[in-house]
Amino acid sequence: MSAQTNPLIDDGLIEFLLYDVLNAESLCELEGYEHHSRETFDLFLDSVRRLARHDLLPTYKPMDEELPEFRDGRIVTHPSLPHLWRKMVEVGVLTGTRPEAVGGQQIPMLVHMMATAYLMAANLSAYGYIGLTLGAAHLIEAFGSDEVKERFMAPMYEGEWTGTMALTEPHAGSSLADITTTAAPTEDGYYLIKGSKIFISGADHDVTENVVNLALARIEGAPSGTKGISLFAVPRLRPENGELVSNDVTVAGLIHKIGWRGLPSLALEFGDVGDCRGWLVGEPHQGLRYMFQMMNEARIMIGVNGAATASAAYHEARTYALERKQGRRLGDRGADQVPIVEHADVRRMLLRQKAIVEGSFALLGTAARYADVANRGPESERERAHLLLDLLTPIAKTFPAERGFEANALAIQVHGGYGYTSEYLPEAYMRDQKLNTLHEGTSGIQSMDLLGRKVVAKGGAPLRALAEEIALAVTEARAAGCDAELCDAVEQATDRVVSITMELGQRGMAGDTDGMLGHSWDYLDMMATLVVAWQWLRMAAAARTRFKDEPTQQARLHGTEAAAQYWIRTEVPRISVLAELCRTAEDSYLKAQPDWF
Amino acid sequence: MKILVSIKRVADPDNASKLKVSSDGTAVTSEGLEWKMNPFDDWSLEAALRLTENAAEKNARVGEVVLVSIGPNDEHTQRIIREGLAKGAERGILVEADDANLDSNVVSQILKAVVDKENPDLVVMGKQAADGDSNVAGTKLAARLGWPIINYAMKISTNDDGKTLEVKRELDTGVATVKVTGPAVITTSDRILQPESVKNGITPADHQYAKLEVGGRYASLKGIMQAKKKPIDQMSLGDLGIEAKVALKYTKFELPPARSGDTTFVESVEDLVDKLHNTAKVI
Repeated sequence: MSAQTNPLIDDGLIEFLLYDVLNAESLCELEGYEHHSRETFDLFLDSVRRLARHDLLPTYKPMDEELPEFRDGRIVTHPSLPHLWRKMVEVGVLTGTRPEAVGGQQIPMLVHMMATAYLMAANLSAYGYIGLTLGAAHLIEAFGSDEVKERFMAPMYEGEWTGTMALTEPHAGSSLADITTTAAPTEDGYYLIKGSKIFISGADHDVTENVVNLALARIEGAPSGTKGISLFAVPRLRPENGELVSNDVTVAGLIHKIGWRGLPSLALEFGDVGDCRGWLVGEPHQGLRYMFQMMNEARIMIGVNGAATASAAYHEARTYALERKQGRRLGDRGADQVPIVEHADVRRMLLRQKAIVEGSFALLGTAARYADVANRGPESERERAHLLLDLLTPIAKTFPAERGFEANALAIQVHGGYGYTSEYLPEAYMRDQKLNTLHEGTSGIQSMDLLGRKVVAKGGAPLRALAEEIALAVTEARAAGCDAELCDAVEQATDRVVSITMELGQRGMAGDTDGMLGHSWDYLDMMATLVVAWQWLRMAAAARTRFKDEPTQQARLHGTEAAAQYWIRTEVPRISVLAELCRTAEDSYLKAQPDWF
Repeated sequence: MKILVSIKRVADPDNASKLKVSSDGTAVTSEGLEWKMNPFDDWSLEAALRLTENAAEKNARVGEVVLVSIGPNDEHTQRIIREGLAKGAERGILVEADDANLDSNVVSQILKAVVDKENPDLVVMGKQAADGDSNVAGTKLAARLGWPIINYAMKISTNDDGKTLEVKRELDTGVATVKVTGPAVITTSDRILQPESVKNGITPADHQYAKLEVGGRYASLKGIMQAKKKPIDQMSLGDLGIEAKVALKYTKFELPPARSGDTTFVESVEDLVDKLHNTAKVI
């Protein structure tokens, strides 16, 4: 299949999720979204998906093959990037969700997510520049002084400069409390920054003339640990007397990655010659707090990266399975060869991918909708939406990344031996996907966050809210005439998850941390399986209501019902096994000693 | 400069394989397909927008583009007009009519009536519609107006706000350059999307538009929001004093024969040439 004909994401799915499952139109009633309508959503989606298919996708493979180069101290990136960057900025994805005051159009997060997913599916690293710049500019918008906004946020939102997140240091990745980059105050309002950063994506390129690094550093004399970390804007070039001059930010090395190859990941040195200036964003010592306030957004975006990458590969596999003729139906000797989709095991692989990809999009859309309500909903609904968003974030980040990787591997499997070659795209999508279980907090960290922090917050209120939401979905599914057995299974699984959570919470309160968190990974797996079952039940109910009497939509109806059935019948039974591992604190690896490995 | 651009809604041409012919063979049914702006009209809109803007000043508008679409007054027709407004056009006109009562004869009558009302300096149209592929409405309109017609324009230049234009036409045999005094009707080819295809004397002559892959510019989110405030006038055939009388009757449609999909493997170049010549009879 040629790259140009991959739809990347099923348009009908997005329409179904937005308007039939997640009721995007009702968001137009929220404060600040009144000027929108379904028509603006559809026109925006249409522009963005065309940009993805016609401009971004054709550059995906060339960018994967022609790597950035480190030449004379600078990074040379793929020549198609400046054009793609300009087009993405022009169409409005960079500032789409931001308020008009900073040049945005204040579109709901839910709609922006579904539109930008196409760009991610088309070319993850090209969209990466947008994601990073939006993250960096948004941090300044939220916490920076007017002067810092004017100087650094405005050129980023205008698309003149790009941004980065410069957190990681060679010895401090997941453990940000240990960073050692320093910031020395001067009398001129800026700080002198000195230190080394690593894995800084997009910190140098020839897409735009300048880059603003949002860097964490310690002000001299600051308290140790997480409470002494501050946030700075550290540009590659600094504006001085109307021109841009070097800011003593040096590229120390280009990291060779297995995916996302259009977006260079760099080692950086700040202050080699003692002249690297950084401008404090917000208050001193609040850097980590600021970062974490933006974390939901960043983590959910990683989830969308994961769903989009799995979706692009799923569509490759789907087309291949419909076209590739191999073998005959069982017992049909001498007949013509049939497309491999006729073989039961290939259909299993496709349905599993569909269940993962579409379940991920539904989960992510649900999280985005909570974010919209948490920000702009009626006062009475905001807190609950916030609780649910916080609870779902580690799952919405991890499920599409982990299960998406599995879906990506299945896309290769559907291609048989051809899938193991670089002539076909699935191997590249699988390499891209792997990063999503690692960055913005590894899956292990997400599982600790979920069990150690999120489900036990506010006396268990988030979990109660989730259980109510699932109960509501079950009621609606029954009313819509969905299979009662599937509804029962989700209901019982919810009860099991609630009871094991209470038990683990009590262990934690009694000081038995290992007993509580030793199986945090299994807990996350269990919870993700449940919330995705919840999404499939909602989708099955919405599909019945919406498509039952529509002759042209019967395939969509039956496909949705089959995926819901598949997930609930084959995955939900694992919930009791996982709950049992948590309950018994099964100790095979808990007791294992380092010298056993 | 004021330009009238006609835009038609057509069943999604990217999914033309899903079109079906009605059982009696007299109509094409597009059930289940989305309505899209005719891609040929999208190209002509791009040309009209370039003629009426300063691209070096963030596409600042220096003229007026009025869109006219003829079709049922429903969300689909409105949506493609809104899409054109979001790309930069100033106003829209929706002339309400049933598809069954439209052919190039009626369409050119309607467009003439709109031209008489609007007095544009130019009419820029797609060379054809992706559904009927008839390729005559532009010429018929020019004949009714008594204006010059320049078909298949691939380059358009003016230095006097459209009063006189130099147009390069794409022909099978090469390129013809014509000079024309407006008002005129121009239909465009896809080469009008090339980076240097339109010169309006206002955008600096050395300005290079970004390369467009398959269609005109994308509607930006900002443009979409601005388009909500732009007017779409709605009128009926009666308002324009037109009685719809189709001159053309479609008697039969049939789908192209399905491809056999048979594959023959050959051992050598000679074998290939032999098969192409003697079996397939294509060389």
